[in-house]
Amino acid sequence: MISQSLLNIVMLVEIALLALGVGVFFAHGVWLFFEEKRLSRLTKSARDSVARLITRGHINVEEMQVLQLLPNDVQVLAFLEISRNVSGSQKERLRFVARQIGVVDRARKLCESKRWARRLRGTRILSRLDVADPVVLQLLADPHPAVRAQAAEWAASQPSAPVISAMLTLLADPATQARFAVQNALLRMGGIVARPLAEFLESQSGRAAEAGLRVAESLAEPSFGPPALRLSRADDIGVRVAAAKLLGAVADAAAAQRLMELVGDDESRVRAAAAQSLGRMQHWQAGSTLAERLRDPTWRVRREAGLALRALGAPGALFLRRTPKSDDRFAADMAQQVLDLPTAAAG
Amino acid sequence: MNDILAAVVNQVLIRGQFVVLLYFLGVNGWYLILLISSLLELRRHMVLITDESRHLLLSSTLSPTISILAPAYNEEATIETSLRALLALQYPSLEVIVISDGSKDRTISVLTEKFDLVPVKTIYERRIKTKPVRSLYRSSTYSALVVVDKENGGKADALNVGLGFARGELVCAMDADTLIEADGLQRMVRPFLYGTNVVATGGTIRVVNGSEVKLGRVFKTAVPTNLLAGVQVVEYLRAFLFGRLGWNRLGGNIIISGAFGLFQREAVVNAGGYLHDTVGEDMELVLRLKRLSYEQGGPGKIAFVPDPVAWTEVPESANVLGRQRDRWHRGLADVLWRHRKMLFNPRYGVTGLFVFPYYAFVELLSPVIEAIGLVSLALGLAFGVVDWEFAGLFYLTAYGLGTALTAFTLILEDLSFHRYETFRDRALLFCWALVENLGYRQITVYWRLRGLWKFLRGRKDWGAMERKGFRPVTAS
Repeated sequence: MISQSLLNIVMLVEIALLALGVGVFFAHGVWLFFEEKRLSRLTKSARDSVARLITRGHINVEEMQVLQLLPNDVQVLAFLEISRNVSGSQKERLRFVARQIGVVDRARKLCESKRWARRLRGTRILSRLDVADPVVLQLLADPHPAVRAQAAEWAASQPSAPVISAMLTLLADPATQARFAVQNALLRMGGIVARPLAEFLESQSGRAAEAGLRVAESLAEPSFGPPALRLSRADDIGVRVAAAKLLGAVADAAAAQRLMELVGDDESRVRAAAAQSLGRMQHWQAGSTLAERLRDPTWRVRREAGLALRALGAPGALFLRRTPKSDDRFAADMAQQVLDLPTAAAG
Repeated sequence: MNDILAAVVNQVLIRGQFVVLLYFLGVNGWYLILLISSLLELRRHMVLITDESRHLLLSSTLSPTISILAPAYNEEATIETSLRALLALQYPSLEVIVISDGSKDRTISVLTEKFDLVPVKTIYERRIKTKPVRSLYRSSTYSALVVVDKENGGKADALNVGLGFARGELVCAMDADTLIEADGLQRMVRPFLYGTNVVATGGTIRVVNGSEVKLGRVFKTAVPTNLLAGVQVVEYLRAFLFGRLGWNRLGGNIIISGAFGLFQREAVVNAGGYLHDTVGEDMELVLRLKRLSYEQGGPGKIAFVPDPVAWTEVPESANVLGRQRDRWHRGLADVLWRHRKMLFNPRYGVTGLFVFPYYAFVELLSPVIEAIGLVSLALGLAFGVVDWEFAGLFYLTAYGLGTALTAFTLILEDLSFHRYETFRDRALLFCWALVENLGYRQITVYWRLRGLWKFLRGRKDWGAMERKGFRPVTAS
């Protein structure tokens, strides 16, 4: 039999653990209650101070000193909250105040920490305040992907040539997180990245090209035409698909001509993307080509061809109305479904 | 005769008690490892999400399209509210596919009337064999809404039909009564954007009983006063916050709740979709995706998001709960049996060497061991082999560590999301954590044993589920 003394020892350990757990649980509850009250009171005071400092015509030194006396976490919280709602000159003043009371310096120090969590925190603060600081630019090459991604977010509001150049290099980043953040940041930078991105695409292939093409598609600048045409002949299927979509966004004569060729590509994903793009650019001359694609062996291509015909307006509708009488049941059914779609669902 | 029986019981107790106690300590010891693992994972997660600009990043045009698959069976009373809540989810590129699984009530009529549905030619990409689709509708008002009316074939069949209509890169499978947090999809999609090799993500499901619900969203959280629902709050917290989160760090999640999960559409379709002939179709699909990733390559990571993203109503009646637990355990046994080839097979890496054995020997067999322990103790008392003091001590020792671990789970919740804020909620949670071991746990042992028995007899029925309905917001 198990000795009772052994059970007693195990039991005592368990009771101690349980008591510790319950004690921490309730003590944390009490602490949380008072901490939230404290934070709420102090943050309100900090928020009011910061708001007054950035909205008044002059900087009140006394107000700044009061703000400086508040705990660091409260200061940061107030600045981050307000940073979401201000821009232009008010943001400029917000940065000035943040610098004066030491928030920016502390964030910079965090960015130089050996621990990634601290670097992330520092980068987040500087990103929110849109502080142009070279220390963040260096973090675009940080070993941790979350920090690189955050630095990319910061870069969105710093569209200078070296920043854009560093960002474009990161389009080939092996970490999805960083790549996604870079794509998003480039998009937010807007038209200013069009030229460097077009030049970048001229020399790229593979993952970097695909990521760049997706950004270019959303920016839809005419200068992307030549690289899109080049990349539409790439071996990589993902790149060809992205190039076909970009050609639809560029929507010039050369793009239309290339898309008509891509509708006959060996890969169904490329054919579908090309059909979609022809619909997007409402290239009515593609009507008969798209009508032929209604007989494509792949469902996705038939569907995109049908939707593209509908997007063409009257010329496409004519093809669609003829198809239900076709001897090809798949084409006939697809045409009928597309014709049945209410306008809201046909986009 | 009684002497002989007493001697036998004595021998069984002498030999068995060590096994039972060691099993309890072993299992709880493993839970302790999971707890530490989940604590580290939660810490990392909180660092990543604190002050992140999720809205900025995830409202991007580059975010993948998500198709929500919402199976519905006789949901005329709730479908409008549920669907409006789904259409209002905060996500930039969303498609909602409602699949009426042969509803016999006015589900389709209500949808047609409230969402301006028009019938369209019924064709779809049928890569998975399903029951026939009767009709297809699109909305004149909501471009992202697709409604499918099909013959009854069960949830798995409905989801498979939904896969045929979905156009998103990701599909979200859910239950009709799941309430999703407004930004739940933004949180769930994060692992797909941030990680390579992710094939599916699951989120934390919380118990909605006791909380106030308004327009398909949880308005105010509260711990239920009903015993069964209350104990399940504790169970869910433990299962999600330290069970799945702990495994997440150890690289071996194989369960995503059927109530809310996000999958790569192509991977699911290529794997053949959901299986019809199992009651554990959610776990089966996840394990199959995992297995195929080892066998054929391709994405295979099952990520877990600890943020509370969805809420579900749990049974408050013992009969319904019993049927649910019986079905869950049958499902577990069935899935593990189907994929038994993975057990201790190094080809399947961490999953084959650690996760699968854990589910087989801990999750599946725990009711058997626990039942042996409880019956032996009762017999020992009956035949005077053990005294009451020893029996009580043995019982408390066996369940004590589990209770302590539950208390630490409550701390995890409190340190991270603390959705239960009031002192009343804390006291109730603690109370349910203690009560859990005084009868509730033993009843679940019986239900799970019943499930195991039914599995051995080849039963595959679901059993009727009843819902009490959400608690509406009270006027204040």
